[in-house]
Amino acid sequence: MTPAQRARVRDLFEQAVERPRGSDLRGWITREAGDPVVADELLSLLNYHSQAGSFLDAPLTEHTPGLLDHDEARFQPGDVIGTYRIKRELGRGGMGYVYLATDTQLDRDVALKVLASPLLHDASQRERLRREARAAALLSHPGICTIYALEEIGREFIIVAEHIDGQSLRDEISSGRRPSGNDLLHAARELAAALAAAHARGMTHRDLKPENVMRASNGSLKILDFGLALMDVGADIPGSPRVTSPGSIIGTPAYMAPEQINHGVVDARTDLFALGVLLFEYATGVHPFEAASPMGVWARVLEGRATELDTLRQDLPPQLDLVVQRCLQKNPADRFATAAEVVAVLAQEPVRRRVEGTQVFWWRTHLKVVLAVYVIAAVASWFVNEWQHGLGGPTFALVAMLATVGGMFRSHLLFAEREHDRAAFRRELVRATLPLNGVDLTLAAALFVEGLWVSPGRPIRGALISGLGLGIAVTRLVLERSTTQAAFEETPGAK
Amino acid sequence: MSEPAAFPQNADDHVAVVYDELRRIAASYMRRERGQTLQATALVNEAYMRLAGAPFTDRNHFLGVAARSMRQVLVDRARARGAHKRWAGLNRVSLTESLVRADSEEAMLPALDEALTRLEAAEPELARIVELRYFVGLSIEDAASTMQMSPATLKRRFALARAWLFRELTSLRT
Repeated sequence: MTPAQRARVRDLFEQAVERPRGSDLRGWITREAGDPVVADELLSLLNYHSQAGSFLDAPLTEHTPGLLDHDEARFQPGDVIGTYRIKRELGRGGMGYVYLATDTQLDRDVALKVLASPLLHDASQRERLRREARAAALLSHPGICTIYALEEIGREFIIVAEHIDGQSLRDEISSGRRPSGNDLLHAARELAAALAAAHARGMTHRDLKPENVMRASNGSLKILDFGLALMDVGADIPGSPRVTSPGSIIGTPAYMAPEQINHGVVDARTDLFALGVLLFEYATGVHPFEAASPMGVWARVLEGRATELDTLRQDLPPQLDLVVQRCLQKNPADRFATAAEVVAVLAQEPVRRRVEGTQVFWWRTHLKVVLAVYVIAAVASWFVNEWQHGLGGPTFALVAMLATVGGMFRSHLLFAEREHDRAAFRRELVRATLPLNGVDLTLAAALFVEGLWVSPGRPIRGALISGLGLGIAVTRLVLERSTTQAAFEETPGAK
Repeated sequence: MSEPAAFPQNADDHVAVVYDELRRIAASYMRRERGQTLQATALVNEAYMRLAGAPFTDRNHFLGVAARSMRQVLVDRARARGAHKRWAGLNRVSLTESLVRADSEEAMLPALDEALTRLEAAEPELARIVELRYFVGLSIEDAASTMQMSPATLKRRFALARAWLFRELTSLRT
């Protein structure tokens, strides 16, 4: 058939399936097709169309769910590779397969990570893997799973690591039992210390998640796969199709920091974001950016606010709240700079518990009262203008303008406190300090002068207006500072 | 964002990238959600999140590549599980019946893949529609927006592709 005939068949087929049942299809085809080749092909296809039943009707994976879930195991129990005898499969992931095996020379259990073959295409990839494994093997910390050896046996590329007999944090989270505040603090300290040790050596994890943290039989926590996230299939390997430097997408979507999602610069602070998510989930069983779909989680990570930990758990030590909150900041600069800082904060004795509810309420009330005072000041100046012509006009204009500017700044702060996260709000607060000082003090001075000026004729009114001016100055310099501090300063000595 | 130049210009290489990714994600699903059925659509969505950006110009472009990769993943799995043997074991009558009832889909996959390759040579657009609908499991509407045609047109073309493939599979073997 020529392409033109094929196109004709396609057009007529599409028309034919739209025709009402029972109409004279055969006659229609003969009339429309003209060309017997086209007519025969069309008839044949329509015939098969009517007989096809459920053929290809439903998506493949709906009928054969096992097809994607199933993969052939690489090794069977009893297989021997080098000096290792496979006991059983522990799991599989992007990197390949993980087996429990016995090192027959040293007679101890080890975990074998047999890397997936797509990783091993060429010599430069293998070299890269060797370097990564070497770097990871240098880490020695009780909170990090130790790498014993790197074996290249035949075509296989195997990382031999400490076998940790225990449960993952994911298992603990799924069990539904939530750790006590103290247990959680202890876990956070262990994980932060392990991260700090690795970061000090310049290693970042990049794929920290509950699946990668094991609780050993002695109760201590160990982080798995440190430095191995880079080994994820082809990632960041020169010459591979997945070179996406500086920030290739490595990691598990739900634990990725905004800069990872955005292909930005990834560093130790990226691990701290994942630590925040992990601790939040461990504490509450839910994700801090919970959403109906993975896409929704990403959207919230990028744009939305995290759920506040203390809305779900009121019993946690306050420094833990603080650590989680700061780790979950979108901008890496707003998180802790290093895991060592997290260790330091967690080591503190419990600080005064911040009762955000009432203090923030009083701060808001304070701001609203000041907004009302601005209106009163403008009205008072208007009367001064009525009583004393001459200077009254310009001062009224000045006071009205200052009241408007000050009102805008304060309304903005009220808005920012509601809508922004704490770090962003604090930046706004700092930005607004200088303009508000200027506005309030000038306003106070203008009112004070107005009061003095009307006092010869109207002493009581003059005193009231001057007093209002003084009151505004004192409020700004003394009262507002303390309400703001009480509401928003979290750690003693913090700015 | 990364340099687009760092990526292979060849569409087949993109397929290889997505292929690896799909296999990887499928494997990690097995580890974290035992017992849950893994749907192709979910897998492709996750792959999109991980690979979005260069070299894929947009979501439609990505879906086209992912659909091809998903077809490879699924056909490879079926081959590895001995689909050929089971396919060969069906006689002509039982073959047509089981196609109509869609109850030996796994066994049919290698043959379907070959038929699809032939369809592709003549009508690449039809083959893509089959990949999106059947292998990824996109709805008529989603597949239509990916192919940038109306849902009604997509439905009719899919019907044509289906008739064509059904004829190939039932009439080739004697």
